[in-house]
Amino acid sequence: MKTPAKYVAALLALAFALAPIYWLITISLKREIDQFASPPLWFAFTPTFSHYTAIFAHEAFGRYFLNSIVVSTCSTLIALVLGLPAAYGLARFPWPRDWSRSISFWILSNRMLPPIVTIIPLFLMLRQIHLLNSLTGLILVDVALNLPFVVWMMRGFVEELPREIEEAAMLDGESRVGVLLRIVLPLVRPGLAATAVFCLIVAWNEFLFALILSQTESAMTLPVGIAAHVTQYEIQWGAMSAAGVVAMLPVLIFAAAAQRYFVRGLSLGALKG
Amino acid sequence: MSLRVENITKRFGVKHALRGVTLEARDGEFVVLLGPSGCGKSTLLRIIAGLEEPDEGTVLLGGKDITRIEPRRRDVAMVFQGYALYPHMTVARNIGYPLRVRKRPSSEISAEVERVGARLGLTHLLGNLPKQLSGGERQRVALARAIIRHPQAFLMDEPLSNLDSRLRVDMRAELKHLQHELSVVTIYVTHDQVEAMTLGSRIAILKDGLLQQYGTPSEVYRRPANLFVAGFVGSPSMNLLPGVIESGSFRRAGLSVALHPEQLALIGARRQITFGIRPEDIDFSATAQPDYTPARVWVTEDLGNETLIRLALDDTHLILRAPAGARADFGTPAWFRIRPEKIHWFDSRTTEAIK
Repeated sequence: MKTPAKYVAALLALAFALAPIYWLITISLKREIDQFASPPLWFAFTPTFSHYTAIFAHEAFGRYFLNSIVVSTCSTLIALVLGLPAAYGLARFPWPRDWSRSISFWILSNRMLPPIVTIIPLFLMLRQIHLLNSLTGLILVDVALNLPFVVWMMRGFVEELPREIEEAAMLDGESRVGVLLRIVLPLVRPGLAATAVFCLIVAWNEFLFALILSQTESAMTLPVGIAAHVTQYEIQWGAMSAAGVVAMLPVLIFAAAAQRYFVRGLSLGALKG
Repeated sequence: MSLRVENITKRFGVKHALRGVTLEARDGEFVVLLGPSGCGKSTLLRIIAGLEEPDEGTVLLGGKDITRIEPRRRDVAMVFQGYALYPHMTVARNIGYPLRVRKRPSSEISAEVERVGARLGLTHLLGNLPKQLSGGERQRVALARAIIRHPQAFLMDEPLSNLDSRLRVDMRAELKHLQHELSVVTIYVTHDQVEAMTLGSRIAILKDGLLQQYGTPSEVYRRPANLFVAGFVGSPSMNLLPGVIESGSFRRAGLSVALHPEQLALIGARRQITFGIRPEDIDFSATAQPDYTPARVWVTEDLGNETLIRLALDDTHLILRAPAGARADFGTPAWFRIRPEKIHWFDSRTTEAIK
């Protein structure tokens, strides 16, 4: 493709992808009366920050925000801590025939299950152990959601490492656990970062489980909190959009900060040579 | 400390990688495992290292059975074909790693790293990462990491094969000198017979998981045990010509050699015989001479210090080593004489040497 054509194509794709975000941001800045003007007010409207001040004035919003941060970071960390050793074992231990692949695929297949299928058993299980309406319960569920993905991704990254390096460390006197911590962990860091970003995004955006499993304000996360602006009597478009914009920011900042790792992590084989 | 493997057998699925291999390396000895790819030499090395477990047999280091001991407790050091340096550590940290794992005090570690680094000419590179080094420098770092902790044995898996040919010759000499100084038993794997001949105090030649011959370089060169060893060791290889024994002579198309009675006695009732002669054991002449057999020049390779001449001999070639400057153009007539005392005889059926 010629260069100008490439730019046009890229711009079109960008416009398509960013249109809803543009819509969200403008609505969050419009007065109620401008929000559904016909024809739409693309740029010429009187901006207002009243929706933002309103959501921050509403004390529950801060609570949701904090809950979301706690749930997504904790669940991501736990999923990584549990997933990496599992992935290492699957990649490196001597399995009969193609068991390593089969077990990995079975683990990943848990991710393919529509989440709605598991919601009733999960609800009953959490009720049994008194973890409904608690952050701990949500964290556990998000770990279960992300763990298969961590195992699958990290197994790929570990397999990319030259086996010789680990064997050299073992002959140098290192134990298996030492190899994992001091050799493998530093070398798969780009892959780990990419995987962590993905897990964080999934946990941050997770709506279905949070909606069903945490119905009290103290354990509500942002997506559920935002949806609560749709009430029986009205839909608070402005406040909802403002909350949406704020909810977007942490993930954007994190993804931008981890971008270097993200690109390296996704372009496998960066460690060769 | 001596190293001994006894009756080692290893299968991968149904395929035999090693079948009952037994050999011993004396204290301080440099033993080379030589063979084509897939012969089991690397598997044997990995079994000695503890990276693979044999299905049968034992590994003894200094008389102690280490067959089921973890690699990290064997106190052997290994140099890998790809060097296997830790990419996220500097040269100094790579070299010091075996001591750090053993929790030696950091002052001792840095002193040792300095000492070993200086010995291998790495002092100015200690702060670099492996990716900033050339192949030869990486090779030295791998060696430094292996020698820093004074292991009981060195294992080397084709450590020179990733270097360019000139560097390889230099490193070969350096390695041999270093091994002599350290005087630690060393097992070295290679598929390159020149490397094997130049480095090894003894060479073990493997094929299809079976030990073919174990001896000093000159033993395997002068008295190859079978057709495989005869063809594999030496460059260019030994001429091997199958033929038959008929009325006291070895015969094949284009060649007939009369045999002494004692040679005939050795051959006994065998009829299918392969005749072997090294290129340097054939005399060449550009003119007709008594006792010489006529042939035609097929190709000539002038190496400067000597000339390799390939003669067309009916359905096959005979390669011979002639002095530098020997004139032999494509297709010209030439004469050769085989030195009868240098002939090797092999049983064509069993492939074993007839002794």
